[in-house]
Amino acid sequence: MALLEVHGLTRHFGGVSAVSDLSFSVNEGEILGLIGPNGAGKTTVFNLVTGFIRPLAGAIRLDGQSVVGLRPHAVARRGIARTFQIVKPFPGLSALENVTLAAFLRHPARRDAEAAATAQLTRVGLGGRLNEIASRLTLMDQKRLEMAKALATRPRLLLLDEPMGGLNATEVDDASDLVRQIRASGVTVVLVEHVMKAIMRISDRVVVMNQGEKIAEGHPKRVVEEPAVLAAYFGKRVA
Amino acid sequence: METFAQSLVSGVLTGALYAMIGIGLTVVFGVMRIINLAHGEMVMLGMFGAFWGQKLWKLDPFVSLLVWTPLMFVAGVLLYRLLLRKIIPGGELNTLLYTAGLSLLVANLALLVWTGDYRTISLSYGVTVRPFGIAIAVPLAIAFVLAILITVTLGLFLSRTNLGRAIRATSQNPEASVLMGIDVERVAMVTFGLGTALAGAAGVLLAPSLYLYPTVGELLIVKCFVIVVLGGLGSVPGAIAGGILLGVVESLGAVYVSGAYKDGIGFVLFLAVLLYRPSGLFGAGR
Amino acid sequence: MKRRHLPALLGVAVLIAIPLSIRNSFFLHVCILILMWTVLGAAWNVLGGFAGQVSFGHAALFAVGAYTTIILYLKGGLAPWWGIPLGGLAAALVSVPIGLLCFRLRGPYFALATLAVAEIVKLVALNWESVTAGSVGYLITTLPSVRLFGLSVNWEAKTPFYAAAVALAVVALLTTGWLRNSRLGAYLVAIRENEDAAEAVGIDTVRAKVVTLALSAFLAGMGGGFYAFYFRYVDPDAVAGIGLSMEMVFIAVVGGLGTVGGPLIGAVFLTAVAELVRDRFQMGHLIFYGLFMMLVIRFMPEGIWGRVRRLTAGATAGA
Repeated sequence: MALLEVHGLTRHFGGVSAVSDLSFSVNEGEILGLIGPNGAGKTTVFNLVTGFIRPLAGAIRLDGQSVVGLRPHAVARRGIARTFQIVKPFPGLSALENVTLAAFLRHPARRDAEAAATAQLTRVGLGGRLNEIASRLTLMDQKRLEMAKALATRPRLLLLDEPMGGLNATEVDDASDLVRQIRASGVTVVLVEHVMKAIMRISDRVVVMNQGEKIAEGHPKRVVEEPAVLAAYFGKRVA
Repeated sequence: METFAQSLVSGVLTGALYAMIGIGLTVVFGVMRIINLAHGEMVMLGMFGAFWGQKLWKLDPFVSLLVWTPLMFVAGVLLYRLLLRKIIPGGELNTLLYTAGLSLLVANLALLVWTGDYRTISLSYGVTVRPFGIAIAVPLAIAFVLAILITVTLGLFLSRTNLGRAIRATSQNPEASVLMGIDVERVAMVTFGLGTALAGAAGVLLAPSLYLYPTVGELLIVKCFVIVVLGGLGSVPGAIAGGILLGVVESLGAVYVSGAYKDGIGFVLFLAVLLYRPSGLFGAGR
Repeated sequence: MKRRHLPALLGVAVLIAIPLSIRNSFFLHVCILILMWTVLGAAWNVLGGFAGQVSFGHAALFAVGAYTTIILYLKGGLAPWWGIPLGGLAAALVSVPIGLLCFRLRGPYFALATLAVAEIVKLVALNWESVTAGSVGYLITTLPSVRLFGLSVNWEAKTPFYAAAVALAVVALLTTGWLRNSRLGAYLVAIRENEDAAEAVGIDTVRAKVVTLALSAFLAGMGGGFYAFYFRYVDPDAVAGIGLSMEMVFIAVVGGLGTVGGPLIGAVFLTAVAELVRDRFQMGHLIFYGLFMMLVIRFMPEGIWGRVRRLTAGATAGA
C-alpha cells in the first residue's frame, strides 16, 4: 500500500497555476525522485504536502489518513518531515540546539532530546561540530544540519528539497550515500533535485512535472527518454 | 444632505494632508522595509517650523514651506547617514525599536524647549468661506491645493526621473535593483530625505488648522499607520486613497456615529485590513 | 549549580535589607517603582525578548489588570493579595483572543496590530462608563489597615507595598528563569530565530506564542493591579496610554532582551535616571529613555545585562 497518496492536487497563485490536478503516490520504503524544469511546481508540492500552503482542491493522504488542512507542525507530528531548498537553520543557535528543538517532538525530556539530536548529527557527519553556531557552518554542513533536523522528528516520510544543490561532486556522492542509508533505516524519501546524476543513481522511481502538471512517471532511465520529458527540459524543437 | 456634503468636503480636505504624511512613511517602508516611528515627530517639527517662522520672522506659514521642506530633506538625509544606516542591517525589529527611541527623544526635547503649551497660528486670511452653502476654512483649502501640488510633483519625480524610477524599482524588488546596478545606498538616503521632507511639509501645511504641541506626533503617527495599512504598506497610490478615506471616515463618523466610539472606527478598520487584506484595501493579493 | 544561585541569594538579601536599613520614604518609593517596572519589563521580555514578538500594546494588558483589581476592591472589597493575582488572571484571559487574532501577523505587522488593539482597549475604557467609570476613572480614597497572618498591615506606610513589589518581582524573575530552561522557552527561541523552520520541526508556533502572551499578560496584569493599589487611582490615560507600552519595551531592551536579569537592570537604570533628572526638568526622563534606547540598540543590542554576562563569561573562559 502507498504511504503517501496525492490526488487531484491543485493550487493557483493569483491566476497562475502552480500545481494543477496532480496525482502521484509514494510507496513505503522507496526513494521517489520529483523532477522537472525550474518553476515546474516541485517546491509548491512540498509546501502543500507539509501544510505550509493550503490546496484549493485535491486530497493528500498519509497511510490513508488525510493531512489536508493540518498546520505544518501537525503534519510533522503525523510523520512527514521536510528540508528547505534555501536552508532554514535557527541561525544563532548551535548545531546541537538546532536539532534538539526538532527532537523535542518525540522526546519531551531535554536530556533524551539532546541524546537523540547528537545521534542524528553524528549520522549526517556533524558529530564533531555539535557546538558550532549554525550560521557559521559551511553550506554543505548547513544542508546536513537541515537533514539532521528533519530526521530528528523521526519521520516516516522525508521530503528533501534540493539537498545537493550547490555541492561539489564528492559532496554529492556523500549526500547520495546518506539518502540511501536513510532509506535503509526505514524512512521513505521523496527527493526534489536538479543534480540528475544523483537522481538517476538513487531513485527507484521518478515523477516528472512541468508547469504544475505531471508529464511522466516511471523508472528513471526510461522516463528521461520520453519525448514529453525531453520537450519540457530542452524545448519543443528537440521533440 | 447638506451635513453629509459638508462632512465629505472637510473629510477630503483633511484627508489629502493625511495622505501626504502617509506617503512619506510608505515610501520609506517600500524602499527600506522600515517603519519609521519617528515620522510623526517630523510632522511636528514642520508644524513648529511654521509657527516660529511666523512668530520670529513674520514669515507666512505657506511661504515658509520653501524654507522648511528643503531643510527637512537635509535633516532626513543626515539622520539616515549618521544614525539609521548603522542600524538597518540589524533587522527590521531593531530599526523599529530604534525609531521608537528617536521618536521619544525628539518629542521630549521639543517638550523641554517649547513646553507642553497648546499653540495656534492665526492668519489674516484665516476666515471661512461658504461656496454652495458649504463652509470651507481658507487655510485648509490652501493647504489642500498645495498638498495636491506637492503630491503631483512627487509623482512626476518618481515616474519621470532616473532617480525616481530607481526608487520605485528598489521598492518593488531590492535584490534585482542591486543587480541592475542601482546604488541602493544612495536611493535609500534620498528616499529617507524625501519621506522626512514630506512629513515636514505636511506639518507646515497642517499648522494653521491644528493645535500645535510637542507630542502631537503620537496622535499623527497612529493615524499614519492606519492610512498606510489601509492603502497597503509601500504603495503611494494606496497611501493617497487611505489618507482620503480616513479623512472622510473621521469626518462622517463625527456626525453620524456617537462621538464616543468614533475614534475606534479607524482602528477597527485598521485591524481588519491588517488581518484579512495585509496588502491593503486596494492592493492585489500578495 | 550552587555558585549560580549565589547572585540571586545575594539579591534577595539586599532586597530584605533595604527597608530595614534605610528609612527614607522617597528612597523606598523609588525602590518600589524599580520593582514594579521590573515586573512590567519582565512581562514584555517574555514575549518580546524570548519569542521575538514586539508588542506595542502591553498597556492594554496592564489596564485590564489595573481595572479588574480596583473594581474588585471598590465593589467587592477584595484585598490586594486576591485582587492583584485576579487582575493578572483577567489580563491573561483577555490576551488569548488578542493573541489568536494578532499572531496571524509577523514582525512589524504584529507590532502595529498590538498598537491598534491597545488603542481600542483604551477607547473601551473611556466609553464603557458603567464598568470603567469612563474618563473620570476610579479612586481609592481609604485603604484601611488589615490583618494578615496575625500581623497588622498599615497601607499608609510604604513597607507593605515594598514587600508586595518584592514578591511580584521575584515571581516575575522566577517565571522568566523557569522559562529560559524550559521546553517552551526553547520553542520561543526557535520562533524568534525562524518561524517557518520551527513549524517544520513540529513546533506549534501559534500555541507557543498564545501561551507565552498569556503568561506575559498575567505578569503585566499583576503589575497593573499593584499600580492600582499603590497609586490608588486608575483612569484610561494613566493605565492604557501608548507611553506605558513603550516604557515596558524600553526597560526590556535596555536591560537585555531574552535575559532573566535584564528587566531588573533596565528598571534600575532607567528609573534611577528618571528620578535623578525629575527635579531638573519635568519630562526629562523620557529624553533619556529615548537616548538610551538608541544607544543600546546601536552599541549593545544584547542590552546592559546581556553585555555584562558576555563579558563575565569571557573572563572566566567558560561557555
